[in-house]
Amino acid sequence: MEELGGSWELKELVAEASRALARLDADRLEELALSCQALNRDFAPVSAQSRTDLVRQACEADGEMAVFARVLEATRANLNVMNRLRELRAGRLEYGEPQARDWAGTEGRHGDH
Amino acid sequence: MGTISSAFSLISGALDADQSALSIVANNVASANTPGYTEETPNWQENSPIQINGVFYGSGVTQTGATSLRDRVLEERLNQQQQMASASGARLAALNSIQALFPPDSGSASATAGDIGSDITGFFNSFSSLEANPTDNALRQQVLSSASTLAGDVSNAAASLNEQRAALDQDASGITSQVNSLTGAIAQLNQQIQSTSPNADAGTLEDDRQQDLSQLSKLIGVNQITTENNGLSITTTSGQLLVSEGSSFQLTTGMASGVTHFYVGTTDVTSQLASGGGELGGYLTARDQDIPSVMSSLDQLAYSVSTQVNAVNNTGTDLDGLTGTVANPLYIFNQPAAVAGSAASMSVAMTDPNQIAAAGLGQGTGDNSNAAAMANLASQPIANGQTPANFYSNFVSTLGSTVSSVQTENTAQNASVTQLQTQNDALSSVNLNDEASSMETLERSYQAASQVFTMLNTIMASALNLGDQTAVS
Repeated sequence: MEELGGSWELKELVAEASRALARLDADRLEELALSCQALNRDFAPVSAQSRTDLVRQACEADGEMAVFARVLEATRANLNVMNRLRELRAGRLEYGEPQARDWAGTEGRHGDH
Repeated sequence: MGTISSAFSLISGALDADQSALSIVANNVASANTPGYTEETPNWQENSPIQINGVFYGSGVTQTGATSLRDRVLEERLNQQQQMASASGARLAALNSIQALFPPDSGSASATAGDIGSDITGFFNSFSSLEANPTDNALRQQVLSSASTLAGDVSNAAASLNEQRAALDQDASGITSQVNSLTGAIAQLNQQIQSTSPNADAGTLEDDRQQDLSQLSKLIGVNQITTENNGLSITTTSGQLLVSEGSSFQLTTGMASGVTHFYVGTTDVTSQLASGGGELGGYLTARDQDIPSVMSSLDQLAYSVSTQVNAVNNTGTDLDGLTGTVANPLYIFNQPAAVAGSAASMSVAMTDPNQIAAAGLGQGTGDNSNAAAMANLASQPIANGQTPANFYSNFVSTLGSTVSSVQTENTAQNASVTQLQTQNDALSSVNLNDEASSMETLERSYQAASQVFTMLNTIMASALNLGDQTAVS
């Protein structure tokens, strides 16, 4: 986990990913993805000590992984809602539905003036 | 229509429209720091074309009002997530307080305050010590002393649970007035919105209503239904009407079975509110489910230990050569009448250490077979098919799992609220970020997080299987 710029425990890495996802810090998440890619590629603990240490870290990170999974799940649900809203607005623009009500959203911004 | 006046009309119309639009922009800038303010955009309407010498010309636009950049679907999802986050937050706080009463077994035989696991071990070990020297008075005193420590810690824990339940009851009850105040305000705003702006966005009035709805969502679980003329009806998540356009229905309270119940009219909505969400949902779930469940386990432990130890002691012979009878039983603990209430009333009845029946029935007072039988109860499945120590250990472990699971939910729900708030701000607040950029960030974050999750999952699975695997492909 040296790729992250320090000696990170797996547990901290997962918690950091959850926090970054909560605040939608795409840059940080992409940075973490690269770190994990490197970690995954170089994953070959040789000594018994490093194996034991990694097993311990994996066990300790279990709770944080559950949190990360739930945040990811919630994000997917939020993304679905936002995509549906975008389609809805696009549909309204396409079919020229009147924008009298607040639903119309952003199309008012680009009215035919 | 004359050409000069038509052209003048067209130009002045455009200027008026621009001036009006500038006012809206100025209002947006001025209100940028007002909580809950939603950005407004000018609505433009094309004027009827003008005919000049048989040719139709466009006659410009008129600014017809403002539309707030709000989206009720997004706001409703935000409110729903807020309700769930508030509920799990309130429940988590209560569960953390409950968990603090039950430290995991330290594994030590020497009892420490509140450590019921150690108390159990210490209590049964005291019989093992007595078994070695059944007539020793100090060892007999030690049995009563460790029984007293166990009973004291169990009854203290039960008393603390009851106190926490009463505090939660008070917190829940206190929310009622806030709910009523908010539903009343929403009904009033409904009236104003419907009378002043039935066919268009009502701007700041709708912002106020949304703010109140957001506050209400933190307190209780609600559904919102948009009605005609910009109206809004609000129900509990199970459909009990709280606001119907201009009318609100008060939430009232009353005592039933020793706790506060909640009513709308004459309907008891307590269980609906418990499962609905918001702080009230969290308080009621902790009060009506979590604490009774913990109390039930504690009662079972107290009942099993008290009745089983009493039964064995009652069949032995004490240091005075006596055996228990119906009229004068040799009970160490006060004999509980039923499982319910056993923990709160657990106490030591015996005051004379000579009454500990260490000897078996018909044996001399120097015999130790009954002390051995009582020590042996530690390894017998006397508590719901488990040994007392295992029963307690599993109960603490189950409580810990519940806390952990609610903690996970709460973290995820708060994260979801943060994300939705970001999206909502991008859409409806006075903000330089536009919606497209906000959506792109959401999509990028999700994709990158998915990659991180997949890779971490692989790394963790490989780490846990290291015995068979030395590298990840």
